[in-house]
Amino acid sequence: MLEGLALFSRSIANMMDPLTLLYVGMATLLGLVIGALPGLTATMGVALLTTLTLKMSPDMAILVLICTYVGAIYGGSRSAILLNIPGTPANAAACLDGHALARQGLAGRAMGISTTGSVMGTLIGMVFLAMFTPLLGEMALKFGAYEFFWLAVFGVVVSGNLTGNDPLKGWLAGFAGLFIATIGQDAIHAYERFSFGNRDLAGGIQLIPALVGAFGFAEVLTVMKDAVGRPAIHSFDSVVPRLRDVLVYWRTIIRSGLIGTFMGIIPGVGEDVGSWSSYAAARAVSKERDKFGKGSVEGLLAAETGDNACVPGAIIPVLALAVPGSAPAAVLLAAMIIHGVQPGPLIMVQNPGFVYDVVAMMLFATIGILFYGIFLVRPLIKVLQVPRDIIMPIVFVLCTIGSFAIAQRLFDIWTMLAFGLIGFVMRQLNYPMAPFVLGIVLGDLLDKNLRRGLVLSDGDLTPFFTRPISAVMVAIIVFSIMMNFASARAALRSGLARFGAALGRRGI
Amino acid sequence: MDERPSATADLLSAVFWMFFGGAIVYGAWTMDRLEYMNINPYTVPGLVPGILGVCIAFMGALLLIRAVRAGAPKLGDIVAERPGRRVEIVRVLVAAGLCLVYAAGFVGHGLPFWLVTAGFVTAFIFVFQFPARRADDTLLRGLFVALLCGAATAAAVTLVFQEIFLVRLP
Repeated sequence: MLEGLALFSRSIANMMDPLTLLYVGMATLLGLVIGALPGLTATMGVALLTTLTLKMSPDMAILVLICTYVGAIYGGSRSAILLNIPGTPANAAACLDGHALARQGLAGRAMGISTTGSVMGTLIGMVFLAMFTPLLGEMALKFGAYEFFWLAVFGVVVSGNLTGNDPLKGWLAGFAGLFIATIGQDAIHAYERFSFGNRDLAGGIQLIPALVGAFGFAEVLTVMKDAVGRPAIHSFDSVVPRLRDVLVYWRTIIRSGLIGTFMGIIPGVGEDVGSWSSYAAARAVSKERDKFGKGSVEGLLAAETGDNACVPGAIIPVLALAVPGSAPAAVLLAAMIIHGVQPGPLIMVQNPGFVYDVVAMMLFATIGILFYGIFLVRPLIKVLQVPRDIIMPIVFVLCTIGSFAIAQRLFDIWTMLAFGLIGFVMRQLNYPMAPFVLGIVLGDLLDKNLRRGLVLSDGDLTPFFTRPISAVMVAIIVFSIMMNFASARAALRSGLARFGAALGRRGI
Repeated sequence: MDERPSATADLLSAVFWMFFGGAIVYGAWTMDRLEYMNINPYTVPGLVPGILGVCIAFMGALLLIRAVRAGAPKLGDIVAERPGRRVEIVRVLVAAGLCLVYAAGFVGHGLPFWLVTAGFVTAFIFVFQFPARRADDTLLRGLFVALLCGAATAAAVTLVFQEIFLVRLP
């Protein structure tokens, strides 16, 4: 604990130079603008900034990416409140009460609440990032091939279950992602799979062009599909966050922070689920639940605390397991590897200072959003007045550059186009993107570890189910699949009722 | 999502997944097993794709059963059209067409990136603002705005990426 605090203090001290603070300011501002613009998501923003930071030192590049990520998730609430369009998928829940408040002439108040929730959520998540990453990293050191195999299956199944509203389609998307990751040379024998003699395809599908396509190009097509844009609300009251909100709704803030962080830790689930889960939990226990959806301060606070707490939460598995907690975290993971930082179970052994550097970066980003939330709201709102007919072609130009710049291959531009079209069709058919992306990230982990596990056990499947961590993961996977069936839910309910009755009979 | 897809759309996607899963299984089964290298049989390259193909085909079959139970195929799903649907399809096709022509047709094929980018942004803005500009009788002004945005984007992108951040452009 004390060692962690010392490392954290050293990270803060190292970052207290004018150039670093300038980068924090610029990256957070850029993230905020990216998040505020419908059509530019946090994933897209982090992917584009990865391109721009290629020539920077690893620490500085990761600082810029984290500030952009935090800024974008916060910035998405601007368009949710003023346009009733979530700037990023994470801010969809904020539309309900945020826009309702804006229509009542309280847009400034809504933005102040959003700032309070975002700052508190990020701070709560940040504390867990500092506390849980070393613990999870230590636990992950006990992982073998069997556990890593189940971790990949767990990620895809749980992500498919929780994102979107149709688990079967979520799992299909996730397994399609896992298959895409097997295209190209396999990691054990370097045998070319499904490359059809194409040299570019033999190198495999790169994550960043695929993500830029699925989240950037697909979003351009989705935004351009609608013939009519929505008018923005331009007049608003004071935007300064109120301390009273924190004092009155402290329970909601802590609960939403915990839910958001937990949702972030689960692989591939992401900020949108963190936000909706926090909102639903707040509504379930609120004394003023009738106001939810009609301009509830508590509802907006819960949604915004939940999605921002998810950001540090999603970085916990990135650092400890090299598994992303959300789509932007997947890009962050890829960016870390590009910059020569190898996250994973060994990070606390090889580079413990890096974890606390990330915590310090998160703190700086939080200060950045608080600053912009108080002082720069009105100029930033001007961004929302730019017509989408002008913004979208520029977004697509950035998609093209973002896919090309990392490896400088035209093939990556074609990959972006293909994934954009696939992503658009999948969205129209109600297939969630998060498990698809997570599948692409986890496919290699699943492939290598299933085969390694089989070699270690000489084809015996028992260790996949009997080792303690594997058994827990299998139980969670089976449970989360079975809970989608009404008969299984009914059986669980009646079992719990019988158990409760038995306890009652014994007077327990 | 604005609306949930129809049972018929689910049926069609289920058929796709079943074929896709089947094709993966076939590809995995016929993949070289590298016996001449004396590799461990549990590490054959087609093992994992084969298992994934089976899972995808199985889930596709579940989706098919669900869609049939929901009443697919329904002629009404195919024939009935929501108002504005045709406009949406045209807008998506135009946007996708412009983006594909720019990124796959022009970028990296000899023309300077700034020129291609300026042309793309100008064309995109002008095409999508065309109906409103024609109705307002401001076509010439619209063209000027589009040209200005195209030139500004090309200049800004080249300056920021190539000159400041030293990123090589296509």
